[in-house]
Amino acid sequence: MGRAIVITSGKGGVGKTTTTANLGTALAQLGYTVVLIDADIGLRNLDVVMGLENRIVYHVVDAIRGKCTVQKALIKDRRLENLWLLPASQTDDKDSVTPEDMRSLVFELKMSYDFVLIDCPAGIEQGFKNAIAGADEAIVVATPEVSSIRDADRVVGLLAAADVSARLVVNRISPHLVKRGDMLSQSDVIEILALDMLGAIPLDDQVIATTNKGVPAVLEGKSLAAKEFVRIARVLAGQELEEKASVGFFTRIGRALGLTASPA
Amino acid sequence: MWQGIKNWFGGKPSREVAKGRLHLVLAHDRTGLDGGRLQEMRNEIAAVLAKYVPIDAEAVEIQIETRARATQLTVSSAIQPRNA
Repeated sequence: MGRAIVITSGKGGVGKTTTTANLGTALAQLGYTVVLIDADIGLRNLDVVMGLENRIVYHVVDAIRGKCTVQKALIKDRRLENLWLLPASQTDDKDSVTPEDMRSLVFELKMSYDFVLIDCPAGIEQGFKNAIAGADEAIVVATPEVSSIRDADRVVGLLAAADVSARLVVNRISPHLVKRGDMLSQSDVIEILALDMLGAIPLDDQVIATTNKGVPAVLEGKSLAAKEFVRIARVLAGQELEEKASVGFFTRIGRALGLTASPA
Repeated sequence: MWQGIKNWFGGKPSREVAKGRLHLVLAHDRTGLDGGRLQEMRNEIAAVLAKYVPIDAEAVEIQIETRARATQLTVSSAIQPRNA
């Protein structure tokens, strides 16, 4: 039986889809079978981030309504042997799916795949409720900004109420700004949200460039962000221990940037 | 160095300001109380306290603080001396 993980954040634009695409790709690279579900019905984007937008025939709403089998709606990523995407519908709205629909869909996929990653829409309304319905656990993505952390905190509360355990990914952290005292550090964010930390993705131009091309950063090499996504994928898979201390990360980032390391 | 000089003149680094603001905002978000309801509660608590001890109802303070995921509400009020 596989695991279903929802990637959520409350606030839009903080990197849920990028995180879903990269963690899914990294897990597939590690040898696991992975399905990515775009739960953002009406505003689908995971397909373009994955570069699979030209291959969509059926989508998640078709599969739920029985217009096609679930297998038929999956798009196989040709770059990796064991990675699939279940795209969202672009023409339906969030109310065309119920939490019960999602629960049985995700359950069916968990029977045949190691990981089912669900890309949650922004907000905490119906789309959010649908996206978390079938999830065993959650990854909350937050950027080190007041608005993002505030929304993440709301989502953490809602996930706890729904009995879904959550871990944190801090996205777009800039060690340089943290050092200058102009950005919340990852330990600040952990302290405020009181969540276990999976990792912190550094702000990285490479991610923007690869996303332009429809290629997840982890497929294109050695950027700092890609390395951290791969490390987080290992933690998710239980191949590496969770990083409890925050100093290690900054030490590594600092070294990679040729800076003298200073604790955050 | 530059930051050091800025801090010397301009107070806290923005990181600390953000932290402080977040602690406050989250404490209120987590209670689910908006400003009006909070004020209402404060007034009711003050009225109850005033029934039992001599207090200045206007000076009753409510503080909401969060540590980890626990939120604590503190009501504080000075008790006036008996013969005041």
